[in-house]
Amino acid sequence: MIKRLIVATALCGAMGTAASAENLRFTVWTGSQAHLDMLNGIAEGFAETHPDVTVQFDTIPFGDYVQKLTLQLAGGNPPDLGWLLENSAPAFVEAGVLADVGDTLNGTDGYDYGDLSEPAMGLWVKDDAVYGVPFSTSPFIVYYNKSLYDAAGLETPTERAADGSWTWDQLKSDAAALRDADAGVWGYETVDGQGYGARVWHNLIPIIRAHGGDAWTDGTCRLDSEQSVEAVKLFHDMVYADGSAVPPGEQGDFFSGNAALTVAQISRVSKLADVDFDWGIAPLPAGPAGEAATIGQAGVVAFAQGKNKELAAEFLAYMTNKDNVAIMAAFFPPARKSVLESESFLSSNPAVTPEQMEIVAEGIETGSVLPSHERFPQIEAEARPDFDALWSEDADIQATMTKLCKDIQPLL
Amino acid sequence: MSAARTGPSLTLRTREAIAGWLFVSPILTGFLIFFVGPLIAVFYYSTTEWNLLSQQSRFVGMDNYVDALTANDTFWHVLGNSLVFAAGLVPLNMALALGLALALSKPMRGVVIFRTVFFAPVITSAVAWAIIWTFLLQHESGAVNQALSVVGVDGPNWLHEPNWAMASVIVTRVLKTVGLNMILYIAALQTIPRDYEEAARLEGANGWEIFRRITWPLLAPTTLVIMVITVVGSLKVFDHIYLMTGGGPQNATLVLAFYIYEQGFKFFNTGYASALAVVLFVLILALTILQMLLKAARK
Repeated sequence: MIKRLIVATALCGAMGTAASAENLRFTVWTGSQAHLDMLNGIAEGFAETHPDVTVQFDTIPFGDYVQKLTLQLAGGNPPDLGWLLENSAPAFVEAGVLADVGDTLNGTDGYDYGDLSEPAMGLWVKDDAVYGVPFSTSPFIVYYNKSLYDAAGLETPTERAADGSWTWDQLKSDAAALRDADAGVWGYETVDGQGYGARVWHNLIPIIRAHGGDAWTDGTCRLDSEQSVEAVKLFHDMVYADGSAVPPGEQGDFFSGNAALTVAQISRVSKLADVDFDWGIAPLPAGPAGEAATIGQAGVVAFAQGKNKELAAEFLAYMTNKDNVAIMAAFFPPARKSVLESESFLSSNPAVTPEQMEIVAEGIETGSVLPSHERFPQIEAEARPDFDALWSEDADIQATMTKLCKDIQPLL
Repeated sequence: MSAARTGPSLTLRTREAIAGWLFVSPILTGFLIFFVGPLIAVFYYSTTEWNLLSQQSRFVGMDNYVDALTANDTFWHVLGNSLVFAAGLVPLNMALALGLALALSKPMRGVVIFRTVFFAPVITSAVAWAIIWTFLLQHESGAVNQALSVVGVDGPNWLHEPNWAMASVIVTRVLKTVGLNMILYIAALQTIPRDYEEAARLEGANGWEIFRRITWPLLAPTTLVIMVITVVGSLKVFDHIYLMTGGGPQNATLVLAFYIYEQGFKFFNTGYASALAVVLFVLILALTILQMLLKAARK
């Protein structure tokens, strides 16, 4: 009998401990072990002040991320926290599924909310409520194969950027000169090779903005403007006139050495660890309207339906404090001004020189975030067939862009 | 008289019925929970305007159906694409499956290897199949166009030209799925007694006449089954479209199943997507019943 009592007491004790422990579930789209190790390290730091809290990072593949996350929310099994891209943010804010973490951030000692760059917070703040904090504010930059440039005796984009002659026309001319069909080398590869499909906006918006155009401003489509059309014509010429860009229906891969130039974010530097060619980084080229750095952004959010809302907000505050943002800066350029301006940011990634990281820092300071809208998925669907119509040799670009604006204007 | 000698009060028939229900109850439970339940739910959701993300829902009656059928040109375009896909895939698949089955149903050296080769794509991952064909169908450097260039043909940009994309997806889908129909036809051919063919030959019938008068009529039940599953499968096609064209170019391959996915999970219009799913269900049901009736009428 005494033995039974001891066992029962021990079981009650164990159950009591289990009941007081909290588990936060955090969805991310990275499967990179380096990223997950870093995130788990941050979670361990949080456990120092919250010993009963564990944080579990669930990876959902990038392509399915929004769909699976939405199903979890709709199915009553929401994560506590998650990552969210800039083009999803307005729809999630509008739907009311994100928790307002403003009070927690402002109430956390040493958080220094004012240190977060105000333009970077634009998508995540609405009516004094704070629905997330960007952990990655990453400008698009040009990667180039320095070995190919040196072999061709061409001035590199870095050198041209330094003397102010790095333009989209110059990139076009370089790509045409470096194209070597016999050797299987293409000139310019679009973003992740998806510039005619999933990443058509990422592909065209930097060129369009450098020409003085834009996707839309104040609810008015500007893709049919003279500047936007001129920019699209430049890229269309790269595909069909001089063959300097990898065309639709072909696979080029800069990171395998079979394309001379591409546009990507700094996180892609991890794909260059074992390549057998020299490479370099340059800012996006300028256009007739000057330089137009373009930024892709992702934020940390807490979900309103999460079971541990307050704890989730506390972890969000911890994850985006100065120390942890400095740790994450190795992979994800920060939105914190103090970290961005620090020397440690410039040397945070050993594969990137401080001079190269300076290009990233400048892009963040001067750039603007990719277009976003609360109805972006619908806009994307309406725009898709019109963008598709651009990719033929005899496409009427002005007419196509006019139709594109006509189709998406009702959604803006 | 003891109870053991009188036996249980239930009759043998009743006891067998109970045992039967108990045996099927696990699969029946799963069927009710995972098929009938969701089916009823979809009918209900199709009468609502339901945003999957915000979880806001309101009853709208038949508005989603009216919107799809009368106010939305995209629906008819998408439905047309689905029918074109089925009309292209079904005859091609069945003719090829029958041809392969006739060739590989006779005893010959290496027949097992050939059957395996043609059946292997069926069990190959759809993702791997689609990715490999995307590479093979590249415009300049793809193996298909390089092979065509050897005989002086300048191949098109298969997956990026509206006129060619649908045909490309149909053919690659046929090559992926034809093996299953081939095996069904081989199994059916092996049930036809050899005596019929021998008797016909003694009567002077040639190969074509034997096929037309004996083989084809005796394959009719199998042909009906194959036609039904191929039509249903082609109307539900999703993975090949998702992986090879994403519905493009210029919506040329945007079929109903993919459109339902986009409406429900990308645009969060879950009520509208449910109505489209019901339309697809009714379409498949109608075509299946039609095929059954045509078969019955021929008897």
